[in-house]
Amino acid sequence: MFGFSLVFVGILLICGISYRNIRVLLDHSGRDTRSYELIQVLRDIDVVTDEAEKHLRRYLVTGEPTYLDNYREVVKHKATLLMEIKDFARGSMDQEERVEQLSQAMDRQFAAQAAAIAKLAEGGIKAVKKTALDGPAKQEIAEIHRIVAAMDRHERETLRLRVRESAAQTRKTIALLAAGALLQLVLLASVYYLIRHDLTERRRVAAELKRHSAMLEAANKELESFSYSVSHDLRAPLRHIDGYAALLRKAMADSMNEKAARYLDTISTSAKQMGQLIDDLLVFSRMGRQEMFHTTVDLAQLVSMVRDDLRLDLHGREISWTIGALPSVPGDPAMLRQVFMNLIANAVKFTRTRPVAEIAIGVDRLTPTEVVIFVRDNGVGFDMRYASKLFGVFQRLHRADEFEGTGIGLANVRRIVHRHGGRTWAEGAPDRGATFYVALPTAGRAR
Amino acid sequence: MSPPKPILLAEDNPRDAELALVAMEEHHISDKVVVCRDGAETLDYLYCRGAFASRHRGNPVVVFLDLKMPKVDGLEVLRTMKSDANLRSIPVVVLTSSREERDLRESYALGANAYVVKPVEFGQFVSAVKELSMFWGIINEPPPDPSLPKT
Repeated sequence: MFGFSLVFVGILLICGISYRNIRVLLDHSGRDTRSYELIQVLRDIDVVTDEAEKHLRRYLVTGEPTYLDNYREVVKHKATLLMEIKDFARGSMDQEERVEQLSQAMDRQFAAQAAAIAKLAEGGIKAVKKTALDGPAKQEIAEIHRIVAAMDRHERETLRLRVRESAAQTRKTIALLAAGALLQLVLLASVYYLIRHDLTERRRVAAELKRHSAMLEAANKELESFSYSVSHDLRAPLRHIDGYAALLRKAMADSMNEKAARYLDTISTSAKQMGQLIDDLLVFSRMGRQEMFHTTVDLAQLVSMVRDDLRLDLHGREISWTIGALPSVPGDPAMLRQVFMNLIANAVKFTRTRPVAEIAIGVDRLTPTEVVIFVRDNGVGFDMRYASKLFGVFQRLHRADEFEGTGIGLANVRRIVHRHGGRTWAEGAPDRGATFYVALPTAGRAR
Repeated sequence: MSPPKPILLAEDNPRDAELALVAMEEHHISDKVVVCRDGAETLDYLYCRGAFASRHRGNPVVVFLDLKMPKVDGLEVLRTMKSDANLRSIPVVVLTSSREERDLRESYALGANAYVVKPVEFGQFVSAVKELSMFWGIINEPPPDPSLPKT
Protein backbone atom coordinates (compact mmCIF):
# COMPACT_ATOMS: atom_id res chain seq x y z
CA MET A 1 0.00 0.00 0.00
CA PHE A 2 2.90 2.32 0.86
CA GLY A 3 4.49 1.54 -2.51
CA PHE A 4 1.27 2.47 -4.24
CA SER A 5 1.12 5.82 -2.46
CA LEU A 6 4.74 6.50 -3.40
CA VAL A 7 4.16 5.77 -7.09
CA PHE A 8 0.99 7.79 -6.98
CA VAL A 9 2.70 10.81 -5.41
CA GLY A 10 5.53 10.47 -7.98
CA ILE A 11 3.08 10.57 -10.86
CA LEU A 12 1.31 13.58 -9.36
CA LEU A 13 4.63 15.40 -8.89
CA ILE A 14 5.73 14.69 -12.46
CA CYS A 15 2.39 15.92 -13.76
CA GLY A 16 2.76 19.15 -11.76
CA ILE A 17 6.33 19.84 -12.88
CA SER A 18 5.55 19.03 -16.50
CA TYR A 19 2.58 21.37 -16.40
CA ARG A 20 4.76 24.19 -15.04
CA ASN A 21 7.51 23.52 -17.63
CA ILE A 22 5.05 23.60 -20.48
CA ARG A 23 3.64 26.88 -19.17
CA VAL A 24 7.21 28.31 -19.21
CA LEU A 25 7.76 27.00 -22.75
CA LEU A 26 4.51 28.56 -23.91
CA ASP A 27 5.56 31.86 -22.28
CA HIS A 28 8.95 31.63 -24.01
CA SER A 29 7.34 31.05 -27.34
CA GLY A 30 5.17 34.17 -26.82
CA ARG A 31 8.20 36.23 -25.95
CA ASP A 32 10.07 34.82 -28.97
CA THR A 33 7.30 36.04 -31.22
CA ARG A 34 7.55 39.52 -29.63
CA SER A 35 11.32 39.50 -30.14
CA TYR A 36 10.94 38.64 -33.83
CA GLU A 37 8.36 41.39 -34.20
CA LEU A 38 10.66 43.81 -32.40
CA ILE A 39 13.49 42.98 -34.81
CA GLN A 40 11.13 43.48 -37.74
CA VAL A 41 10.03 46.88 -36.41
CA LEU A 42 13.67 47.91 -35.90
CA ARG A 43 14.38 47.11 -39.56
CA ASP A 44 11.30 49.15 -40.54
CA ILE A 45 12.52 52.10 -38.45
CA ASP A 46 15.88 51.94 -40.25
CA VAL A 47 14.23 51.93 -43.63
CA VAL A 48 11.72 54.63 -42.75
CA THR A 49 14.42 56.95 -41.28
CA ASP A 50 16.38 56.84 -44.57
CA GLU A 51 13.20 57.21 -46.58
CA ALA A 52 12.18 60.39 -44.69
CA GLU A 53 15.62 61.97 -45.27
CA LYS A 54 15.50 61.06 -48.96
CA HIS A 55 12.07 62.66 -49.48
CA LEU A 56 13.08 65.78 -47.57
CA ARG A 57 16.32 66.22 -49.57
CA ARG A 58 14.33 65.91 -52.81
CA TYR A 59 11.96 68.58 -51.58
CA LEU A 60 14.84 70.87 -50.55
CA VAL A 61 16.44 70.50 -54.00
CA THR A 62 13.27 70.87 -56.10
CA GLY A 63 10.85 72.76 -53.86
CA GLU A 64 8.17 70.39 -55.20
CA PRO A 65 5.42 70.16 -52.50
CA THR A 66 4.59 66.53 -53.45
CA TYR A 67 7.91 65.50 -51.90
CA LEU A 68 7.05 67.41 -48.73
CA ASP A 69 3.74 65.49 -48.57
CA ASN A 70 5.61 62.21 -49.00
CA TYR A 71 8.03 63.25 -46.24
CA ARG A 72 5.17 64.08 -43.86
CA GLU A 73 3.48 60.73 -44.65
CA VAL A 74 6.65 58.84 -43.76
CA VAL A 75 7.18 60.86 -40.56
CA LYS A 76 3.64 59.97 -39.42
CA HIS A 77 4.38 56.28 -40.06
CA LYS A 78 7.61 56.57 -38.08
CA ALA A 79 5.75 57.82 -35.01
CA THR A 80 3.51 54.72 -35.17
CA LEU A 81 6.57 52.47 -35.40
CA LEU A 82 8.05 54.17 -32.35
CA MET A 83 4.84 53.42 -30.40
CA GLU A 84 5.03 49.76 -31.46
CA ILE A 85 8.64 49.37 -30.48
CA LYS A 86 7.95 50.88 -27.08
CA ASP A 87 5.34 48.19 -26.60
CA PHE A 88 7.58 45.32 -27.74
CA ALA A 89 10.53 46.47 -25.63
CA ARG A 90 8.54 46.60 -22.45
CA GLY A 91 9.94 44.31 -19.80
CA SER A 92 13.61 44.68 -20.67
CA MET A 93 15.36 47.60 -18.90
CA ASP A 94 18.19 47.85 -21.44
CA GLN A 95 15.87 47.94 -24.41
CA GLU A 96 13.51 50.43 -22.76
CA GLU A 97 16.42 52.75 -22.16
CA ARG A 98 17.51 52.44 -25.79
CA VAL A 99 13.95 53.10 -26.97
CA GLU A 100 14.08 56.32 -24.93
CA GLN A 101 17.38 57.28 -26.63
CA LEU A 102 15.87 56.37 -29.98
CA SER A 103 12.86 58.54 -29.31
CA GLN A 104 15.11 61.51 -28.39
CA ALA A 105 17.29 60.97 -31.49
CA MET A 106 14.17 60.89 -33.62
CA ASP A 107 12.93 64.10 -31.98
CA ARG A 108 16.28 65.71 -32.82
CA GLN A 109 16.05 64.39 -36.39
CA PHE A 110 12.59 65.91 -36.83
CA ALA A 111 13.78 69.18 -35.27
CA ALA A 112 16.75 69.42 -37.72
CA GLN A 113 14.52 68.53 -40.67
CA ALA A 114 11.87 71.08 -39.56
CA ALA A 115 14.63 73.72 -39.38
CA ALA A 116 15.70 72.94 -42.96
CA ILE A 117 12.06 73.25 -44.17
CA ALA A 118 11.77 76.62 -42.41
CA LYS A 119 15.05 77.77 -43.99
CA LEU A 120 13.74 76.88 -47.49
CA ALA A 121 10.61 78.89 -46.92
CA GLU A 122 12.66 81.86 -45.73
CA GLY A 123 15.58 82.02 -48.15
CA GLY A 124 14.62 79.85 -51.12
CA ILE A 125 16.45 76.93 -52.68
CA LYS A 126 19.82 78.68 -52.61
CA ALA A 127 19.77 78.98 -48.83
CA VAL A 128 19.33 75.22 -48.33
CA LYS A 129 21.54 73.98 -51.15
CA LYS A 130 24.36 72.93 -48.84
CA THR A 131 22.00 71.42 -46.31
CA ALA A 132 20.27 69.45 -49.06
CA LEU A 133 23.56 68.08 -50.34
CA ASP A 134 24.87 67.11 -46.86
CA GLY A 135 21.56 65.83 -45.59
CA PRO A 136 19.67 67.91 -43.03
CA ALA A 137 19.80 65.35 -40.20
CA LYS A 138 22.88 63.37 -41.12
CA GLN A 139 24.24 63.10 -37.57
CA GLU A 140 20.91 62.26 -35.97
CA ILE A 141 20.22 59.57 -38.55
CA ALA A 142 23.62 58.02 -37.92
CA GLU A 143 22.75 58.05 -34.21
CA ILE A 144 19.38 56.36 -34.91
CA HIS A 145 21.05 53.62 -36.99
CA ARG A 146 23.56 53.05 -34.18
CA ILE A 147 20.84 52.71 -31.56
CA VAL A 148 18.73 50.45 -33.79
CA ALA A 149 21.76 48.25 -34.45
CA ALA A 150 22.46 48.01 -30.71
CA MET A 151 18.86 47.10 -30.00
CA ASP A 152 18.88 44.52 -32.77
CA ARG A 153 22.04 42.93 -31.37
CA HIS A 154 20.63 42.88 -27.86
CA GLU A 155 17.33 41.37 -28.93
CA ARG A 156 19.00 38.67 -31.03
CA GLU A 157 21.26 37.76 -28.13
CA THR A 158 18.28 37.52 -25.75
CA LEU A 159 16.43 35.42 -28.29
CA ARG A 160 19.39 33.10 -28.71
CA LEU A 161 19.70 32.60 -24.97
CA ARG A 162 15.99 32.04 -24.60
CA VAL A 163 15.88 29.48 -27.42
CA ARG A 164 18.72 27.60 -25.83
CA GLU A 165 16.91 27.65 -22.48
CA SER A 166 13.69 26.48 -24.14
CA ALA A 167 15.47 23.59 -25.77
CA ALA A 168 16.93 22.51 -22.43
CA GLN A 169 13.54 22.88 -20.81
CA THR A 170 11.90 20.81 -23.53
CA ARG A 171 14.44 18.02 -23.16
CA LYS A 172 13.90 18.03 -19.40
CA THR A 173 10.13 17.93 -19.80
CA ILE A 174 10.30 15.05 -22.27
CA ALA A 175 12.48 13.12 -19.84
CA LEU A 176 10.05 13.86 -17.02
CA LEU A 177 7.03 12.80 -19.08
CA ALA A 178 8.83 9.61 -20.04
CA ALA A 179 9.52 8.88 -16.38
CA GLY A 180 5.85 9.60 -15.61
CA ALA A 181 4.70 7.25 -18.35
CA LEU A 182 7.00 4.59 -16.97
CA LEU A 183 5.61 5.05 -13.47
CA GLN A 184 2.07 4.82 -14.78
CA LEU A 185 2.99 1.65 -16.59
CA VAL A 186 4.35 0.23 -13.34
CA LEU A 187 1.17 1.25 -11.56
CA LEU A 188 -1.02 -0.26 -14.25
CA ALA A 189 0.97 -3.48 -14.27
CA SER A 190 0.76 -3.88 -10.51
CA VAL A 191 -2.96 -3.09 -10.52
CA TYR A 192 -3.45 -5.64 -13.29
CA TYR A 193 -1.46 -8.20 -11.31
CA LEU A 194 -3.43 -7.53 -8.13
CA ILE A 195 -6.78 -7.73 -9.91
CA ARG A 196 -5.77 -10.98 -11.59
CA HIS A 197 -4.59 -12.38 -8.30
CA ASP A 198 -7.83 -11.30 -6.63
CA LEU A 199 -9.91 -12.83 -9.43
CA THR A 200 -8.10 -16.14 -9.19
CA GLU A 201 -8.67 -16.13 -5.45
CA ARG A 202 -12.32 -15.32 -5.91
CA ARG A 203 -12.77 -18.08 -8.46
CA ARG A 204 -11.14 -20.51 -6.07
CA VAL A 205 -13.44 -19.46 -3.21
CA ALA A 206 -16.49 -19.66 -5.48
CA ALA A 207 -15.54 -23.17 -6.58
CA GLU A 208 -15.03 -24.17 -2.96
CA LEU A 209 -18.39 -22.72 -2.03
CA LYS A 210 -20.07 -24.59 -4.86
CA ARG A 211 -18.50 -27.84 -3.75
CA HIS A 212 -19.64 -27.29 -0.19
CA SER A 213 -23.17 -26.42 -1.19
CA ALA A 214 -23.33 -29.56 -3.34
CA MET A 215 -22.17 -31.58 -0.35
CA LEU A 216 -24.72 -29.87 1.84
CA GLU A 217 -27.46 -30.58 -0.65
CA ALA A 218 -26.49 -34.25 -0.79
CA ALA A 219 -26.48 -34.41 3.01
CA ASN A 220 -29.88 -32.77 3.11
CA LYS A 221 -31.26 -35.27 0.59
CA GLU A 222 -29.87 -38.11 2.66
CA LEU A 223 -31.45 -36.67 5.78
CA GLU A 224 -34.74 -36.41 4.00
CA SER A 225 -34.73 -40.03 2.90
CA PHE A 226 -33.62 -40.97 6.40
CA SER A 227 -36.50 -39.18 8.04
CA TYR A 228 -38.82 -40.67 5.45
CA SER A 229 -37.82 -44.19 6.35
CA VAL A 230 -37.96 -43.31 10.04
CA SER A 231 -41.48 -42.08 9.57
CA HIS A 232 -42.56 -45.15 7.64
CA ASP A 233 -40.49 -48.11 8.73
CA LEU A 234 -40.03 -47.42 12.42
CA ARG A 235 -43.67 -46.75 13.00
CA ALA A 236 -44.86 -50.10 11.60
CA PRO A 237 -43.20 -52.39 14.19
CA LEU A 238 -44.44 -50.11 16.98
CA ARG A 239 -47.96 -50.43 15.69
CA HIS A 240 -47.51 -54.20 15.67
CA ILE A 241 -46.18 -54.27 19.23
CA ASP A 242 -49.16 -52.30 20.49
CA GLY A 243 -51.58 -54.19 18.27
CA TYR A 244 -50.45 -57.67 19.26
CA ALA A 245 -50.23 -56.69 22.92
CA ALA A 246 -53.90 -55.67 22.65
CA LEU A 247 -54.77 -58.91 20.86
CA LEU A 248 -52.92 -60.91 23.49
CA ARG A 249 -54.78 -59.12 26.28
CA LYS A 250 -58.05 -59.94 24.57
CA ALA A 251 -57.13 -63.59 23.94
CA MET A 252 -56.02 -64.09 27.55
CA ALA A 253 -58.76 -61.99 29.08
CA ASP A 254 -60.09 -64.77 31.28
CA SER A 255 -56.87 -66.37 32.47
CA MET A 256 -54.50 -63.36 32.87
CA ASN A 257 -53.27 -62.39 36.31
CA GLU A 258 -52.63 -58.82 37.44
CA LYS A 259 -48.87 -58.99 36.93
CA ALA A 260 -49.15 -60.16 33.34
CA ALA A 261 -51.73 -57.43 32.67
CA ARG A 262 -49.30 -54.79 34.01
CA TYR A 263 -46.51 -56.14 31.79
CA LEU A 264 -48.75 -55.91 28.77
CA ASP A 265 -49.73 -52.34 29.74
CA THR A 266 -46.05 -51.40 29.99
CA ILE A 267 -45.39 -52.85 26.52
CA SER A 268 -48.26 -50.79 25.09
CA THR A 269 -47.25 -47.61 26.91
CA SER A 270 -43.64 -47.92 25.77
CA ALA A 271 -44.68 -48.47 22.17
CA LYS A 272 -46.90 -45.41 22.27
CA GLN A 273 -44.16 -43.38 23.87
CA MET A 274 -41.71 -44.34 21.18
CA GLY A 275 -44.31 -43.46 18.58
CA GLN A 276 -44.56 -40.01 20.18
CA LEU A 277 -40.77 -39.62 20.16
CA ILE A 278 -40.61 -40.50 16.48
CA ASP A 279 -43.36 -38.04 15.66
CA ASP A 280 -41.61 -35.30 17.65
CA LEU A 281 -38.30 -36.02 15.96
CA LEU A 282 -39.95 -35.80 12.57
CA VAL A 283 -41.55 -32.46 13.39
CA PHE A 284 -38.17 -31.21 14.60
CA SER A 285 -36.45 -32.41 11.43
CA ARG A 286 -39.17 -30.93 9.24
CA MET A 287 -38.88 -27.61 11.09
CA GLY A 288 -35.30 -27.32 9.87
CA ARG A 289 -36.01 -28.16 6.23
CA GLN A 290 -39.43 -26.66 5.69
CA GLU A 291 -39.66 -23.61 3.42
CA MET A 292 -40.33 -20.46 5.40
CA PHE A 293 -43.32 -18.33 4.65
CA HIS A 294 -42.38 -14.67 5.02
CA THR A 295 -44.99 -12.24 6.25
CA THR A 296 -45.75 -9.96 9.19
CA VAL A 297 -46.96 -11.70 12.34
CA ASP A 298 -49.03 -9.91 14.97
CA LEU A 299 -47.67 -11.44 18.18
CA ALA A 300 -50.52 -10.11 20.35
CA GLN A 301 -53.05 -11.91 18.18
CA LEU A 302 -50.86 -15.01 18.00
CA VAL A 303 -50.54 -15.24 21.80
CA SER A 304 -54.28 -14.87 22.29
CA MET A 305 -54.86 -17.64 19.71
CA VAL A 306 -52.41 -19.92 21.50
CA ARG A 307 -54.14 -19.31 24.83
CA ASP A 308 -57.44 -20.15 23.18
CA ASP A 309 -56.01 -23.42 21.85
CA LEU A 310 -54.73 -24.32 25.31
CA ARG A 311 -58.04 -23.77 27.09
CA LEU A 312 -58.59 -27.54 27.55
CA ASP A 313 -55.31 -27.79 29.48
CA LEU A 314 -56.40 -24.84 31.61
CA HIS A 315 -59.45 -26.64 32.84
CA GLY A 316 -59.54 -26.68 36.65
CA ARG A 317 -56.51 -24.41 36.92
CA GLU A 318 -56.33 -20.98 38.43
CA ILE A 319 -53.97 -18.83 36.38
CA SER A 320 -53.31 -15.11 36.65
CA TRP A 321 -52.26 -13.85 33.23
CA THR A 322 -50.34 -10.59 32.68
CA ILE A 323 -50.08 -9.94 28.95
CA GLY A 324 -48.24 -6.77 27.92
CA ALA A 325 -48.45 -5.00 24.58
CA LEU A 326 -46.80 -7.12 21.88
CA PRO A 327 -45.48 -5.90 18.52
CA SER A 328 -45.71 -7.31 15.01
CA VAL A 329 -42.58 -8.98 13.65
CA PRO A 330 -41.56 -10.36 10.25
CA GLY A 331 -41.67 -14.17 10.16
CA ASP A 332 -43.51 -17.39 9.44
CA PRO A 333 -46.87 -17.39 11.31
CA ALA A 334 -47.13 -21.18 11.72
CA MET A 335 -43.56 -21.47 13.00
CA LEU A 336 -43.85 -18.55 15.42
CA ARG A 337 -47.13 -19.99 16.63
CA GLN A 338 -45.25 -23.19 17.45
CA VAL A 339 -42.71 -21.15 19.44
CA PHE A 340 -45.29 -19.45 21.63
CA MET A 341 -47.39 -22.61 21.87
CA ASN A 342 -44.39 -24.42 23.33
CA LEU A 343 -43.37 -21.62 25.69
CA ILE A 344 -46.88 -20.96 27.01
CA ALA A 345 -47.73 -24.67 27.29
CA ASN A 346 -44.49 -25.12 29.27
CA ALA A 347 -45.42 -22.24 31.57
CA VAL A 348 -48.84 -23.80 32.15
CA LYS A 349 -47.35 -27.26 32.66
CA PHE A 350 -44.63 -26.28 35.12
CA THR A 351 -46.92 -24.15 37.29
CA ARG A 352 -49.24 -27.10 37.86
CA THR A 353 -48.11 -27.47 41.47
CA ARG A 354 -48.98 -23.83 42.28
CA PRO A 355 -52.35 -22.96 43.81
CA VAL A 356 -52.39 -19.79 41.68
CA ALA A 357 -50.16 -19.84 38.62
CA GLU A 358 -48.77 -16.51 37.48
CA ILE A 359 -47.80 -16.23 33.83
CA ALA A 360 -46.56 -12.97 32.34
CA ILE A 361 -45.82 -12.29 28.67
CA GLY A 362 -44.44 -9.01 27.37
CA VAL A 363 -41.64 -7.06 25.75
CA ASP A 364 -38.40 -7.08 27.73
CA ARG A 365 -36.73 -4.49 25.51
CA LEU A 366 -37.04 -3.04 22.04
CA THR A 367 -33.95 -1.97 20.05
CA PRO A 368 -33.93 -0.61 16.50
CA THR A 369 -32.94 -4.08 15.22
CA GLU A 370 -34.68 -6.55 17.48
CA VAL A 371 -37.44 -7.09 20.01
CA VAL A 372 -36.91 -9.28 23.09
CA ILE A 373 -40.06 -11.01 24.33
CA PHE A 374 -40.27 -12.81 27.65
CA VAL A 375 -42.57 -15.55 28.99
CA ARG A 376 -42.33 -15.68 32.79
CA ASP A 377 -43.94 -18.12 35.22
CA ASN A 378 -43.88 -18.81 38.96
CA GLY A 379 -43.55 -22.55 38.43
CA VAL A 380 -41.00 -25.11 39.54
CA GLY A 381 -38.17 -23.33 37.69
CA PHE A 382 -34.80 -24.92 36.99
CA ASP A 383 -31.22 -24.85 38.14
CA MET A 384 -29.16 -22.40 36.06
CA ARG A 385 -26.38 -25.01 36.01
CA TYR A 386 -28.46 -26.94 33.48
CA ALA A 387 -29.52 -23.90 31.46
CA SER A 388 -27.35 -25.00 28.53
CA LYS A 389 -29.25 -28.28 28.28
CA LEU A 390 -32.69 -26.69 28.16
CA PHE A 391 -32.86 -26.23 24.41
CA GLY A 392 -31.32 -29.60 23.43
CA VAL A 393 -33.24 -32.33 21.60
CA PHE A 394 -34.97 -34.70 24.06
CA GLN A 395 -33.30 -32.94 27.00
CA ARG A 396 -35.46 -32.91 30.10
CA LEU A 397 -34.76 -31.36 33.50
CA HIS A 398 -37.61 -33.18 35.28
CA ARG A 399 -38.43 -36.81 35.76
CA ALA A 400 -41.08 -38.29 33.49
CA ASP A 401 -43.31 -39.08 36.48
CA GLU A 402 -43.17 -35.40 37.58
CA PHE A 403 -43.97 -33.75 34.26
CA GLU A 404 -44.88 -35.44 30.98
CA GLY A 405 -43.27 -34.62 27.64
CA THR A 406 -40.55 -35.84 25.30
CA GLY A 407 -38.28 -32.81 25.57
CA ILE A 408 -38.57 -31.64 22.00
CA GLY A 409 -40.53 -28.41 22.57
CA LEU A 410 -37.68 -26.05 23.44
CA ALA A 411 -35.44 -27.62 20.78
CA ASN A 412 -38.12 -26.66 18.27
CA VAL A 413 -38.33 -23.18 19.79
CA ARG A 414 -34.60 -22.64 19.37
CA ARG A 415 -34.54 -24.03 15.84
CA ILE A 416 -37.42 -21.83 14.71
CA VAL A 417 -36.03 -18.71 16.37
CA HIS A 418 -32.61 -19.36 14.78
CA ARG A 419 -34.21 -19.69 11.40
CA HIS A 420 -35.77 -16.28 11.98
CA GLY A 421 -32.31 -14.88 12.73
CA GLY A 422 -33.06 -14.52 16.45
CA ARG A 423 -31.81 -15.89 19.80
CA THR A 424 -33.32 -17.71 22.78
CA TRP A 425 -32.20 -18.04 26.39
CA ALA A 426 -33.69 -18.66 29.79
CA GLU A 427 -33.29 -17.62 33.41
CA GLY A 428 -34.59 -19.41 36.44
CA ALA A 429 -34.01 -20.91 39.87
CA PRO A 430 -35.33 -24.13 41.41
CA ASP A 431 -38.82 -23.57 42.76
CA ARG A 432 -38.62 -19.85 41.90
CA GLY A 433 -40.09 -19.86 38.43
CA ALA A 434 -38.52 -19.48 34.99
CA THR A 435 -38.29 -16.76 32.36
CA PHE A 436 -37.79 -17.61 28.70
CA TYR A 437 -36.55 -14.93 26.31
CA VAL A 438 -37.02 -14.81 22.56
CA ALA A 439 -35.14 -12.12 20.63
CA LEU A 440 -36.55 -11.65 17.13
CA PRO A 441 -35.20 -9.28 14.46
CA THR A 442 -37.62 -6.48 13.64
CA ALA A 443 -36.29 -6.21 10.09
CA GLY A 444 -36.53 -9.52 8.22
CA ARG A 445 -33.22 -11.36 7.87
CA ALA A 446 -34.43 -14.95 8.23
CA ARG A 447 -32.58 -17.88 6.70
CA MET B 1 -76.65 -63.36 -8.39
CA SER B 2 -73.08 -62.07 -8.22
CA PRO B 3 -71.23 -62.21 -4.89
CA PRO B 4 -70.93 -58.93 -2.94
CA LYS B 5 -68.14 -56.67 -4.16
CA PRO B 6 -64.93 -57.15 -2.17
CA ILE B 7 -62.71 -54.64 -0.40
CA LEU B 8 -59.18 -54.82 -1.83
CA LEU B 9 -56.44 -54.38 0.78
CA ALA B 10 -53.00 -53.78 -0.78
CA GLU B 11 -50.64 -54.33 2.14
CA ASP B 12 -47.22 -55.95 1.98
CA ASN B 13 -46.82 -56.32 5.75
CA PRO B 14 -48.65 -59.49 6.94
CA ARG B 15 -48.95 -58.14 10.48
CA ASP B 16 -50.53 -54.90 9.33
CA ALA B 17 -52.84 -56.97 7.15
CA GLU B 18 -53.76 -59.21 10.08
CA LEU B 19 -54.40 -56.27 12.40
CA ALA B 20 -56.58 -54.65 9.75
CA LEU B 21 -58.55 -57.89 9.31
CA VAL B 22 -59.00 -58.14 13.09
CA ALA B 23 -60.43 -54.64 13.06
CA MET B 24 -62.85 -55.50 10.26
CA GLU B 25 -63.91 -58.75 11.86
CA GLU B 26 -65.95 -56.89 14.40
CA HIS B 27 -68.22 -55.65 11.61
CA HIS B 28 -68.24 -59.00 9.85
CA ILE B 29 -66.81 -57.52 6.73
CA SER B 30 -63.46 -59.28 6.89
CA ASP B 31 -64.78 -62.11 4.71
CA LYS B 32 -65.30 -59.59 1.94
CA VAL B 33 -61.64 -58.53 2.01
CA VAL B 34 -59.07 -59.57 -0.59
CA VAL B 35 -55.45 -59.01 0.50
CA CYS B 36 -52.74 -58.39 -2.08
CA ARG B 37 -49.15 -58.53 -0.83
CA ASP B 38 -47.50 -56.06 -3.21
CA GLY B 39 -48.24 -53.63 -6.02
CA ALA B 40 -47.77 -56.18 -8.79
CA GLU B 41 -50.27 -58.57 -7.20
CA THR B 42 -52.69 -55.68 -6.75
CA LEU B 43 -52.53 -54.85 -10.44
CA ASP B 44 -52.88 -58.57 -11.31
CA TYR B 45 -56.08 -58.62 -9.27
CA LEU B 46 -57.46 -55.46 -10.83
CA TYR B 47 -56.70 -56.69 -14.35
CA CYS B 48 -57.82 -60.30 -13.62
CA ARG B 49 -54.54 -61.80 -14.69
CA GLY B 50 -51.88 -64.15 -13.23
CA ALA B 51 -53.19 -65.81 -10.07
CA PHE B 52 -56.46 -63.91 -10.47
CA ALA B 53 -57.11 -64.82 -14.11
CA SER B 54 -60.13 -66.87 -13.14
CA ARG B 55 -61.61 -64.63 -10.47
CA HIS B 56 -65.12 -63.37 -10.67
CA ARG B 57 -65.15 -60.28 -12.87
CA GLY B 58 -65.91 -56.90 -11.35
CA ASN B 59 -64.12 -54.09 -9.57
CA PRO B 60 -63.64 -53.98 -5.80
CA VAL B 61 -65.83 -51.59 -3.87
CA VAL B 62 -62.74 -49.77 -2.54
CA VAL B 63 -58.94 -50.17 -2.55
CA PHE B 64 -57.05 -49.63 0.72
CA LEU B 65 -53.60 -48.88 -0.62
CA ASP B 66 -50.30 -48.94 1.26
CA LEU B 67 -47.66 -46.72 -0.35
CA LYS B 68 -44.41 -48.48 0.43
CA MET B 69 -44.60 -51.90 -1.15
CA PRO B 70 -42.05 -54.12 -2.94
CA LYS B 71 -41.96 -54.45 -6.76
CA VAL B 72 -44.60 -51.88 -7.67
CA ASP B 73 -45.21 -49.23 -5.02
CA GLY B 74 -48.54 -47.72 -4.05
CA LEU B 75 -48.14 -44.50 -6.00
CA GLU B 76 -47.40 -46.49 -9.14
CA VAL B 77 -50.54 -48.60 -8.60
CA LEU B 78 -52.53 -45.42 -8.08
CA ARG B 79 -51.12 -43.87 -11.26
CA THR B 80 -51.96 -46.99 -13.28
CA MET B 81 -55.49 -47.17 -11.89
CA LYS B 82 -56.31 -43.53 -12.46
CA SER B 83 -55.11 -43.64 -16.07
CA ASP B 84 -57.29 -46.65 -16.89
CA ALA B 85 -60.88 -45.86 -17.88
CA ASN B 86 -62.18 -49.09 -16.29
CA LEU B 87 -60.39 -48.63 -12.97
CA ARG B 88 -60.48 -44.87 -12.61
CA SER B 89 -63.77 -44.76 -10.75
CA ILE B 90 -62.77 -47.22 -7.99
CA PRO B 91 -62.40 -45.27 -4.73
CA VAL B 92 -58.83 -45.42 -3.42
CA VAL B 93 -57.98 -44.82 0.24
CA VAL B 94 -54.26 -44.42 0.84
CA LEU B 95 -53.53 -46.17 4.16
CA THR B 96 -49.92 -45.61 5.08
CA SER B 97 -47.41 -44.93 7.84
CA SER B 98 -46.04 -41.94 5.97
CA ARG B 99 -46.89 -38.45 7.11
CA GLU B 100 -44.51 -36.90 4.55
CA GLU B 101 -45.95 -33.92 2.76
CA ARG B 102 -44.74 -35.03 -0.67
CA ASP B 103 -46.58 -38.39 -0.31
CA LEU B 104 -49.75 -36.54 0.61
CA ARG B 105 -49.36 -34.08 -2.23
CA GLU B 106 -48.56 -36.72 -4.82
CA SER B 107 -51.33 -39.08 -3.72
CA TYR B 108 -53.98 -36.41 -4.06
CA ALA B 109 -52.45 -35.16 -7.31
CA LEU B 110 -52.82 -38.68 -8.73
CA GLY B 111 -56.48 -38.78 -7.67
CA ALA B 112 -56.59 -40.55 -4.30
CA ASN B 113 -60.02 -40.27 -2.66
CA ALA B 114 -58.70 -40.23 0.92
CA TYR B 115 -55.39 -40.35 2.78
CA VAL B 116 -55.17 -41.94 6.23
CA VAL B 117 -52.04 -42.23 8.38
CA LYS B 118 -52.01 -45.51 10.30
CA PRO B 119 -52.03 -44.62 13.99
CA VAL B 120 -49.36 -46.26 16.14
CA GLU B 121 -51.81 -46.89 18.94
CA PHE B 122 -53.78 -50.07 18.33
CA GLY B 123 -57.06 -48.72 19.65
CA GLN B 124 -56.91 -45.81 17.26
CA PHE B 125 -55.78 -48.09 14.43
CA VAL B 126 -58.74 -50.38 14.97
CA SER B 127 -61.26 -47.57 15.04
CA ALA B 128 -59.70 -45.95 11.93
CA VAL B 129 -59.86 -49.18 9.93
CA LYS B 130 -63.34 -49.93 11.20
CA GLU B 131 -64.65 -46.54 10.22
CA LEU B 132 -62.97 -46.67 6.82
CA SER B 133 -64.38 -50.09 5.96
CA MET B 134 -67.78 -49.13 7.32
CA PHE B 135 -67.92 -46.01 5.22
CA TRP B 136 -66.40 -47.23 1.95
CA GLY B 137 -67.59 -50.86 2.18
CA ILE B 138 -71.13 -50.36 3.43
CA ILE B 139 -72.31 -46.75 3.60
CA ASN B 140 -70.81 -45.41 0.40
CA GLU B 141 -72.56 -46.32 -2.86
CA PRO B 142 -69.84 -47.49 -5.28
CA PRO B 143 -69.82 -46.25 -8.89
CA PRO B 144 -71.40 -48.45 -11.57
CA ASP B 145 -68.82 -50.94 -12.77
CA PRO B 146 -67.72 -50.09 -16.32
CA SER B 147 -66.07 -53.51 -16.75
CA LEU B 148 -69.33 -55.39 -16.30
CA PRO B 149 -72.00 -55.57 -19.02
CA LYS B 150 -74.95 -53.37 -18.23
CA THR B 151 -78.02 -55.20 -17.01
